[in-house]
Amino acid sequence: MSIFTEKDGITRRQFFKGAGMLAFTAVVAGVFAKVGVDVFAASDDYIQKRAEGLYTLDEQMAIRKSHENPEILQIYKDFLSPGEIKPVSEKAHHLLHTRYGKDIPGLIEELATHHDAA
Amino acid sequence: MSEISGKVLKHDTQTRSMHWVHLIGFLILALTGIAFYWDLIGISNIFGGPANASLVHRWAGVIFTAGPTIYILLNFERFAKFIDTISHFTKDDFAWLKTMGGYIPFIKVDKAPPQDKYNAGQKILGGLIIVGCLLVILTGFPMWLWRHTLPAAFLAMCYNIHFWTAIIMILLICGHFFLAAIHPKSRIEFASMMLDGYVDAEITSHHNEKWFNALQKVE
Repeated sequence: MSIFTEKDGITRRQFFKGAGMLAFTAVVAGVFAKVGVDVFAASDDYIQKRAEGLYTLDEQMAIRKSHENPEILQIYKDFLSPGEIKPVSEKAHHLLHTRYGKDIPGLIEELATHHDAA
Repeated sequence: MSEISGKVLKHDTQTRSMHWVHLIGFLILALTGIAFYWDLIGISNIFGGPANASLVHRWAGVIFTAGPTIYILLNFERFAKFIDTISHFTKDDFAWLKTMGGYIPFIKVDKAPPQDKYNAGQKILGGLIIVGCLLVILTGFPMWLWRHTLPAAFLAMCYNIHFWTAIIMILLICGHFFLAAIHPKSRIEFASMMLDGYVDAEITSHHNEKWFNALQKVE
């Protein structure tokens, strides 16, 4: 039985077409990868600059800690823990610690009770 | 009785192996992709649930990319011949397309124009598959690897290109399967890609006349 096969070797046209297709694919993939890597780097750069900005803003603030804020200290002295500064006073606990969702009716009732008692 | 007898080696072992790897990879990718795009839990469960189906999709994508890449690098000569064939259109190819080679029942053709190793329809399919593969690969990997950093608009574009290219490729492969495995005029070549690589010499002399005339007889 006769067997037929292709001849070995390729023509110059076949070589250039094959190589051209590979080169085109490599360039397209390379450009795509470059865009991806650049976006990744830009994202990292943005995050770093944003963090630096936030820290800089914070460092420039006159009052940086809530427990050193004179207005807060005054509120404690005058109202939340009269005569002293007691951060977790009972009144502070009830007024400043809120609740969410299905716990809200309970919170309203609790505040009303304290208000009536006061 | 024709004077031509014997067999033609149309697709050698490496080509058939790459075709099998690509076929299996494509089937897994298509099934898992369809499963989690339309949330078809029945298909996802074949791959161990939605999370595993997603993982299988990604690694099947790696095989889908690596298979042809390795083949091309190890078989540049065959690849170059393939690219040359599918990108070389002559008046015979356009004449073939006018009658669709006689594959359409209501277009009567006495004798289709002589064709290369691949007919004009196969050439177009080959080109579309290459472009489709490049698009799904180039949009697929950013969706996996850079999804946390790429701009949302760019990712959305990748998702859309990936989805529509995949849909078109699935339809193309359905057509390819029909013509390669079911249509009585063309399924005679089925074994040349899926099994032993050979096709009848007389059939080749009719279907791929130009290519057949350039072959050499080795025994």
